[in-house]
Amino acid sequence: MSNQALLERPAAVPAPTSRKGRGPQGIARLMPYAFVVLPAAYLLVFMFYPLGRQVYLSLTRTRLANPNRSEFIGFGNYERLFGNPEFYSVLRITLTYSIMAVVLGVAVGMIAALALNRPFRGRTLVRGVLLFGWAVPNVAAALVWLWIFNERSGILNTVVTGLGLERISWLTSTDMALPSILLVTVWQVAPFVMLVMLAALQSVPEEVKEAAVIDGADKLSVFRAVTLPHILPTLQLVSLLVMVWSIRRFDIIYLLTGGGPVGSTSTLIVKLRQVAFENHDLGMSSAYGVVGLMLALTVAAIHALFNIRRQRSSSR
Amino acid sequence: MTRTSILKHVFAVALACAAATGAMAQEKVTLVVSNSQWLDALRGEGLWNAVKAYEKTAPNIELKALGIPSKDYGDRLMTEFGAGAGPDVAIIQEGVFYALADAGLLVDVGAAAEGVALNTTKDNGIVDGVTLGVPWQRAAYALIYNSKLTEAAGAKVPTTVEELIASARAVQEKTPGSIGFTARHQISDFSGFYMDFQSWAYGYGVNWVDGNGKLTIDTPEAVAAVTAFKALYDAKVIPVGDDFPTQRTRFKEGQVGYSIDNSGGTLNIASGGTTKGSDIHAAAMPFAHPGAHQQIYVVVNANSKHQKEATAFLKWLMSPEGQAGLRKASGPDMLATDVPLDPAFVAANPWATTFAEVATKSHSVLIPGHEVETTQIMRPVMEAVEEVLITGTDPAAALAKAQKRVDGMF
Repeated sequence: MSNQALLERPAAVPAPTSRKGRGPQGIARLMPYAFVVLPAAYLLVFMFYPLGRQVYLSLTRTRLANPNRSEFIGFGNYERLFGNPEFYSVLRITLTYSIMAVVLGVAVGMIAALALNRPFRGRTLVRGVLLFGWAVPNVAAALVWLWIFNERSGILNTVVTGLGLERISWLTSTDMALPSILLVTVWQVAPFVMLVMLAALQSVPEEVKEAAVIDGADKLSVFRAVTLPHILPTLQLVSLLVMVWSIRRFDIIYLLTGGGPVGSTSTLIVKLRQVAFENHDLGMSSAYGVVGLMLALTVAAIHALFNIRRQRSSSR
Repeated sequence: MTRTSILKHVFAVALACAAATGAMAQEKVTLVVSNSQWLDALRGEGLWNAVKAYEKTAPNIELKALGIPSKDYGDRLMTEFGAGAGPDVAIIQEGVFYALADAGLLVDVGAAAEGVALNTTKDNGIVDGVTLGVPWQRAAYALIYNSKLTEAAGAKVPTTVEELIASARAVQEKTPGSIGFTARHQISDFSGFYMDFQSWAYGYGVNWVDGNGKLTIDTPEAVAAVTAFKALYDAKVIPVGDDFPTQRTRFKEGQVGYSIDNSGGTLNIASGGTTKGSDIHAAAMPFAHPGAHQQIYVVVNANSKHQKEATAFLKWLMSPEGQAGLRKASGPDMLATDVPLDPAFVAANPWATTFAEVATKSHSVLIPGHEVETTQIMRPVMEAVEEVLITGTDPAAALAKAQKRVDGMF
């Protein structure tokens, strides 16, 4: 029986009178709407209005110091944006960063979850320690990593030179800056993935796994045939979350490299900030924001499509 | 006297008292004064006390400090002013000043400067013949050095970039673990990087705009400036990767031989560390032409309800009394009027006089005629500089690319 069917009025309940909507029954009927009103108003004021305003601003020429005196220019900002080769570089960096953050973050988090899903002494302590990266505020994490990456006196280069190798320019070379930022991102994201996937792994029925083992399946086959299908919806959801967070991640990148060196870590959000506060061009920065929004919505739509397909195949 | 008349008198007296109290309460005006320097651990309290002294002259005024960290200061003020809010009085960098002036969000404060002999620091505060800001401080750039390290190395005060490289190397060789020279060199600190680099550019005779108002980025002078900076970068005398606060701290702790810094930064280095102010010396920068300065203005917000009172406050700031108080708290920075540096301060900080001298010849970090767009223009320029430093791209080619990007901007 679906949830909707459960909520339907039982046949024994007398039919409503002509004074429908009044009295305790009427109030009860309105209650769900009353519960929805506040969150809906919140979303309207703090989410949809700013989003709508951003879309509108992207169609205007608006200066930062004069946001109320904007001039409508249609798709002028988008024409300039799509005609600028720099935009495609920013887009490529954003996609590279976001996809790599998902692949590496989810892979590391998943491996950690699988390791922690087995019983061993001190498991709770290890789980707590591994969560550290996720619990540390981004700004504090960035400052600590700045020291770790420091070319002259950072711990990483102390290790590198100790091994007899040349110092590495972690944040100041175009080859190493993005991988370094990805390292920090994975350090932050993987614990979250681990926590969620661990919960999903613990919900996999043991008896099904045992039955597969009795049927002669090895560990890899059990994982592929039993565990993975069970945790796949969670895996997809967590990948979606990490992807969207990566598209809009600002603080870590801004604090570590500011988009440099030579634009090698300049993502959409870092560029948006630069255009808004250095160029004072709110219209163009809003256009960057709308592109970021579209990117995140596309990812969410792909996730929704996967969900629909999975639901259809499971209902057959 | 009848009971009625007594009651009438009592009532009248009560009414008069209430009216007087009300009037007194109404007369007290609160002016919110914003400045990132209020949060400065060294000068903040002294500067605020110097300003707060105005309350003794104007008992009907109460000054309230609004301190905002310098990194967010310009962004926040522009957003607040643009939204029709913000402090009554703001103490702002020249770049923010021009952006707010361009948006028509500043009040004419010419009355504050009437009858006062302001020095050249006033010039950029006048936009299209209207005084929209009065000078607060000017922080010029100079070459500074730690005499303990340079004397130990037998290094002379450099007058060219080649000599600077040689002297910085000598310091590093003589004192193991020391740093020859400190400079901003990363785009992650864009604002500071571009303002500091202007000294190199101007020092090599760069004019980012020609007589016709055309932006000239890839001039031979600019190529020479970038090439010289690259030579210094490649000499392995700069702590590559260190942000500038860290580099200043290293200087403070006696680990650095030379630096090019502004007067405010040098005051920071000379205070509270192991390096005494008397061990720090300053000289003109090793360039043929004068360098840059950062100018700060005091403005009145057009959204303020107390513009008259705020302008009166500015007038007091420009008066001998206001300037004397500010002089004590400002250290080496040049002020609106030619108030001499405090002799006790100069005795403890011999470097201060050099900054006072160079500040009279230095240029604004902003590009004339493009003051509002300077940061936008300097972004591709600094990215070109960074590209030269990191990838070894030819300076002329990198600046030609920057020129193209700048040409496509407007």
